[in-house]
Amino acid sequence: MKPPLYTIRSLVHAYDGGPPVLAIERLSVAAGSILGLVGPNGSGKSTLLKLLAFVEKPTRGEIRFKDRPAAPFSDAVRFQVTLLTQEPYLMRRSVHANVAYGLKLRGRSRDCRPQVAAALSLVGLAAERFADRKWYQLSGGEAQRVSLAARLALQPEALLLDEPTASVDAASAELIKAAVIRARDQWGTTLVIASHDRQWLYEICDDSLHLFRGRILESGADNLLFGPWQPGPSGFWHKPLAGGGVLRVPPPPDDQAVGVLDTRAVSLTAPGAASPQGLNTLDGVVSRLVLEKNTRRIVATISVGLLALTVKLDPERLQALHLYPGKAVRIHFAPQAVAWCDPA
Amino acid sequence: MDFLLGGFVTAIQLLLTGDSETYSAVFATVRVSGYSMAASLALGVPGGFFLGHFDFRGKRQVRLVVDTLLALPTVLIGLLVYAFLSQRGPLGEWGLLFTLPGIAIGQTFLALPVVVALTATAVEAMDRHLRTTLITLGVSRTQLLLSILWEGRLGILAAAATAYGRVTTEVGVSMMVGGNIKWLTRTMTTAIALETNKGQFAMGVALGLVLMAIAFVVNFSVFFLRRR
Repeated sequence: MKPPLYTIRSLVHAYDGGPPVLAIERLSVAAGSILGLVGPNGSGKSTLLKLLAFVEKPTRGEIRFKDRPAAPFSDAVRFQVTLLTQEPYLMRRSVHANVAYGLKLRGRSRDCRPQVAAALSLVGLAAERFADRKWYQLSGGEAQRVSLAARLALQPEALLLDEPTASVDAASAELIKAAVIRARDQWGTTLVIASHDRQWLYEICDDSLHLFRGRILESGADNLLFGPWQPGPSGFWHKPLAGGGVLRVPPPPDDQAVGVLDTRAVSLTAPGAASPQGLNTLDGVVSRLVLEKNTRRIVATISVGLLALTVKLDPERLQALHLYPGKAVRIHFAPQAVAWCDPA
Repeated sequence: MDFLLGGFVTAIQLLLTGDSETYSAVFATVRVSGYSMAASLALGVPGGFFLGHFDFRGKRQVRLVVDTLLALPTVLIGLLVYAFLSQRGPLGEWGLLFTLPGIAIGQTFLALPVVVALTATAVEAMDRHLRTTLITLGVSRTQLLLSILWEGRLGILAAAATAYGRVTTEVGVSMMVGGNIKWLTRTMTTAIALETNKGQFAMGVALGLVLMAIAFVVNFSVFFLRRR
């Protein structure tokens, strides 16, 4: 096993003396791995990426890079780590100057045209068409790809991407995926990628991390169940779902609490199948099937009204159920399988 | 209106024949404004960057003071600088009263708030992702400062042009600190004021035309640089 590139210990980060927005007790990122960050808006993904990029210093705790303490602007990380932000900024220069900027800082600007052209080609932009364009002559998707090219040209040890496919079309998303995989395979780059596009993420990541309210959820905790909750019979609380069905959960800490449901606790059957006593039974429709690259399991997203639940299945189980997007299924899980997040 | 038309014709003649008194005032203005702009940019651009880029306790109060100083009357600056540079003042022994460097000191106080305030505004107006982008590409702290200033160059150019306009057109400081001494500290604006008092419009109009030409050249340069 490769040594970790990053090691985080007792990290807490807050902005301007406010409440903590990120609290991670322990985390390691293996060198040469691709780690996905998932979680709703405001869960701390961008903050974690900024800290890993050493743009900011954590309020408390330590981030070690290659087992050494590192800080913003330190020589240990300045030329090794780079981040592509969610809304990338292009400097008021040509595309060539933007891509060459990082190379110039590293003293590699002499005759860097081939490197710039290669980096642009990785993101599907022809240097002869784009290199001399000004920053304002690019579409949003092109600007995103030029920004990524500027990072790829550096062949960094760690490449951190914040929503890299948020403003690009499907073809560009595929190009970015190919470029990212090539960076890892060719240069051994370690990647940490935050994205809401789970399908895109599952296809390239070795592992994924679920963040919610600045904390890492346990592995498998893919399903978040939001209130409001109402007291119900038998000591359970419930929430009526749009389109019928009722979610039953153990007593929450408050009526707006957020529950976490482990994918491993959810089972699927054919519609109409009998449900064991005491389990939540919900009828839904398969909305998406994605192959998880690392485990070769199938990630199925089931829509139950407005609620989307994720279930992980072995290929054999998928075949047995004859699942395909659009097929009706029945979901079962025990109310006790729902755990409660710490209050915000 | 004939006297105005006549003044205009004579002004053209003065400029075309290279009238030494007219050009003495022009050169004095160019020199003194050059000194004051160099000083105000050297102090004001870093100051504006600091004010616009960093968050610190009392920032809003400092900003309020700088914005207030934008409206500082030139005669008040002239009075204070005169008081400091006169023989009885704390800097009297420097012998700068009634000299071009003395005027330049006063004009620096005039231009400095303009440069600081407009540079700070330019830096504040820049995309909040610029800093993150630069750091993630590997800049050092010095390179970060220089790159942000370079990205905000259009705003800083506008600040410099505005400040230059203010120092070349002011009368109060030049008159009070310079003393309007012919061949020595007479600038274009003090010469215009004097000639108008004497009823001699020709030189005033000639110098006014030169002022307008300078303003045009400065603004054309900014316009040209903006397009690049």
